[in-house]
Amino acid sequence: MTFDRVDVVLEIVKIALIVGLLLNVVPIMVWVERRGSALIQDRLGPNRVGPFGLIQSMADALKFILKEDVIPLQAHKWLYTIAPMFGLIPAMTTIAVVPWGRPFFIPTEIVYGPRVSGVCIIGAAILAILAIVLGGATAKYHRKPNYSKLNFTIGAIVAVSLFLGALALIGIMLGIKTAGAVHLPGGGRLFEPIIADVNVGILLIFALASLGVYGIVTAGWASSNKFSLFGGIRASAQMISYELSLALAAVSALMVAGSLRLTDIVTRQTGYFVLADTVKIPAWNCFSPAMWLSMIVFVVSAFAETNRLPFDFAEAEAELVAGYHTEYSSMKFAMFFMSEYIAMTTMSALVVTLFFGGWDVPWYNEPATVTGFLLSAIAFLAKVSFLLFVFVWVRWTIPRLKYDILMKIGWKVFLPLAVANIVLVAWFIAARWI
Amino acid sequence: MIEFAVFFFFAAIAVIFALVVILHRNTVVGALSLVASFFALAVMYVLLDAPFLAALQVIVYAGAIMVLFLFVIMLLNLQHVSEPATRPIQQFLGYAGSAFFGIALVYYLVKYTVLQLPPGPFLSDARAIGVALFEAYIFPFEMVSILLLAAIVGALLLSARRGVIPSRKDGEEPPARATRGSLATLGMTEEGPLP
Repeated sequence: MTFDRVDVVLEIVKIALIVGLLLNVVPIMVWVERRGSALIQDRLGPNRVGPFGLIQSMADALKFILKEDVIPLQAHKWLYTIAPMFGLIPAMTTIAVVPWGRPFFIPTEIVYGPRVSGVCIIGAAILAILAIVLGGATAKYHRKPNYSKLNFTIGAIVAVSLFLGALALIGIMLGIKTAGAVHLPGGGRLFEPIIADVNVGILLIFALASLGVYGIVTAGWASSNKFSLFGGIRASAQMISYELSLALAAVSALMVAGSLRLTDIVTRQTGYFVLADTVKIPAWNCFSPAMWLSMIVFVVSAFAETNRLPFDFAEAEAELVAGYHTEYSSMKFAMFFMSEYIAMTTMSALVVTLFFGGWDVPWYNEPATVTGFLLSAIAFLAKVSFLLFVFVWVRWTIPRLKYDILMKIGWKVFLPLAVANIVLVAWFIAARWI
Repeated sequence: MIEFAVFFFFAAIAVIFALVVILHRNTVVGALSLVASFFALAVMYVLLDAPFLAALQVIVYAGAIMVLFLFVIMLLNLQHVSEPATRPIQQFLGYAGSAFFGIALVYYLVKYTVLQLPPGPFLSDARAIGVALFEAYIFPFEMVSILLLAAIVGALLLSARRGVIPSRKDGEEPPARATRGSLATLGMTEEGPLP
């Protein structure tokens, strides 16, 4: 495999984009979680900082950084410090093998025209409106009697940076207009919107996901706290059990695509199922009857694997105070928080890739151009966002199970169902029904 | 060049953490170091163009087996009991045996060129391994699975509670439970760690 300087730059851009997006998912999801729970429980939720309380998460993040970092005297200092990183790194790495858009050919040059100015002006307008709304809200907030300097500063900084972004877009437009055409380095080359297109992609995901449990287990043990230890032990038992049904449920999607590579799995789902020669349905796995069982098993196991309610036995605040992170404070606690939400995002992306057609836009044949790429990336983001909302929705709707029921469901219901489903899918494939 | 650097970096990690496993007194630290060592080993597989094996190495060893190890260590919460060496000859035999084995290993590695890579691409994708397992090596493969099944049944029999396996006649005294013996070998009584 040969690669040149442009490939390296493109790869760095992709990594920066994905890592930036993942890190930004966390504050947004915290906001969605709090507002969503408020919606479901008929309360208001955080609505003071910024419009709709949107900047609340940023204030929380700053608070995390500024809090005192306490290490208990009894704790094993090394492992106590390393545990949150052990949890966060696998969660962040997994997304590398998930494709997030239609591969497209990078145009050789950008010529000034109505389309360029349209895109730039609309983008600049959106950024400017956001900046004005935020700035206005911040200024209004300033006049309230109980305002805090911290929130005011955050609001002002974000508003100013949004405004600068709008100015930059206008600048880019003017620059292209005076230059006439801008030659892109690496133009005409195929851009694949995936960080690492490994031929064992799905196995890599399961490998890294299975390493994620060490963060929780180590944290539980290193804290020297009985509640933490219980949380850690529960987490390890739970994650081993559900990993099996998770992997077996994914096998059905792999069998249909005949590959372990996630790009192949998505490509397999880009066509149509034609019902009775008239109705066209996108060929997503979730629309084929052979997949329904495995989809249910996979999604439920994904909840268990990410330690979300109704399966959050590692935390279980009614029984274990706060479970494995009882002793943690400051940024170390924030890292556990981040790894939970990032793991959720990765799992949603995986469910979308395996069962909901990945980046495929329904009833639309994406061309291999920038437009097709953007549309498919937006479709992917929309599907992932919907699934993330489902995670929140389920958390605040379904109460926690009992621990023995959790283990019983994992071993006695989901595992046999997942195995049975493999046989079912094999039968469907042999009979050429899918 | 980059491959060279990556190899030596991860080889160093594998060796260092393997040393930590045998030298550190804390069992949990030992188990976690073994995970790190396994992970470094998986990187070696990637360097050998065998990403499938690398993923399996991480899933099976680092992800599943070591979690179980850690689970058991935490559940038993073993305390370190240091005993004075009662039979120095055992210690001597242990050191001598491992030294002999190490020297023999290095000798044969140097004498027969095992270190050279086989010519041509190393077929290791999932399809090639599956075909090899289910065509050329189908008999050993099935034998190993029967062996594993026997081990699982044996573990079930040893750990089963009274009444779960109704094979004894009525009125017969059940055999002593295995747990007591295993606790004693771990340096613990039923009241707690030995003084």
